[in-house]
Amino acid sequence: MAALALEPPAPAPTFEPPAPPLDPEPIPAPVPAPVWVQGSINDGDLNALALLRLRDRLKEQLVEYKAALLANQEYFTNHLKINIIEEKLIQSATKNLQKSIEEVKVSLQNKTLALQRVQITDALRNQVDHNDEDSRLILETMKQIGLLSQAVVEYQQQANHKEERMTDIKRKRLCLKVDEGQKVEQIQTTMDMQEEKPASVNVSETENNKLEQEKQMTAVIQNVFQNLIVGSGVNWAEDASLKAVVLRLENNVCVH
Amino acid sequence: MAVLRPLDKLPTLNSGVLLLVGSDEALQQKLAEAILQEKKDFNISIHLAASLPLPSERDHLRPRIDLVVFMIDIKSKYSLKNVEASLAHVDANFFLGKVCFLVTGVGRVNACSIETNAICQLGKAYCSPVLFCELELEGIRVATAQRLLRMLQICAGHIPGVSALSFVSLMRNSDDD
Repeated sequence: MAALALEPPAPAPTFEPPAPPLDPEPIPAPVPAPVWVQGSINDGDLNALALLRLRDRLKEQLVEYKAALLANQEYFTNHLKINIIEEKLIQSATKNLQKSIEEVKVSLQNKTLALQRVQITDALRNQVDHNDEDSRLILETMKQIGLLSQAVVEYQQQANHKEERMTDIKRKRLCLKVDEGQKVEQIQTTMDMQEEKPASVNVSETENNKLEQEKQMTAVIQNVFQNLIVGSGVNWAEDASLKAVVLRLENNVCVH
Repeated sequence: MAVLRPLDKLPTLNSGVLLLVGSDEALQQKLAEAILQEKKDFNISIHLAASLPLPSERDHLRPRIDLVVFMIDIKSKYSLKNVEASLAHVDANFFLGKVCFLVTGVGRVNACSIETNAICQLGKAYCSPVLFCELELEGIRVATAQRLLRMLQICAGHIPGVSALSFVSLMRNSDDD
């Protein structure tokens, strides 16, 4: 029997030596794993059924590996995306940090400037307290500075006034431009109207021409009828309706 | 610290590899002998370890491990702690059906020092089935060996059409009920 041929030999004699004794104390290095190997299929036992069974097993294991591979691919792509996002985050963070560093630098510079100014004024004040030649000079220069700064303020005010006037003028120019635009629009509309008028005149002229033609046609037809009646030799004065027709034909349309 | 991975080695032809992790060595040996005495048509190798990680110097000799069984002795809290520490060295892919918790000593309820609820929580957290058994009794030991053997066959891919993942999802459904 095929199934029986696959039965392994009795398991007990093929045991490998069991695990080495365990230390009672928990040790950091784990105990090596002993291996017990069961008897294997002998080459002589192989037959078609066993080979088929092995093939099925291999297929099953292949499916398992394929599934794991697919899962890992997805994991890998997700990981890549996460990495890219992290990189972007880091870049933006570094930008922010650089900006804050710049701000801190500027504020430090301003503070050192203020500090220097305070130190200089303090030194000047000390010098002024001495009441000697230097202090007199310092006072004079300070007065001069005061005068100069007054002059600067005046000039600045003048400049401000001029700027205001400038803005006024600009505003007026803007208003004028808007008006100009409106006027140009009006001109455009009137031009359009004028272009439309001659067209209507043309229409009426063609109508008149047609009317004239019709009138001439009716005149010709009237004459033809008159001549027909006269030429036929009928006494049209006897018949009342015929008389009315002939008299009506007398009224020439063209004369009107 | 080597992490145990399920698929980083090629499987050996016609064989299944079981790893028993537990602090009680005598029980491990008893269970291993019981499993080896079962009737089967493929090679079984059973590795015994007190805790994970496994020593890395013998890593190249070790075959691919198909099923990891964590043995928890319900009478000692140390075994549970040992298992919990060992779980950190197992790759997450193992928990797709290739891990099983075996609770031993369930027969002696008076000597219990671990709540079964805690073990069930552990099994739920790691998405792995929990088997309760009493290895001192001959009949239960044989039944447990048969169950583990069947699980090993599934995990090693010997049963066409049934993968470890589908098996463990079946087991979990019955647990939730």
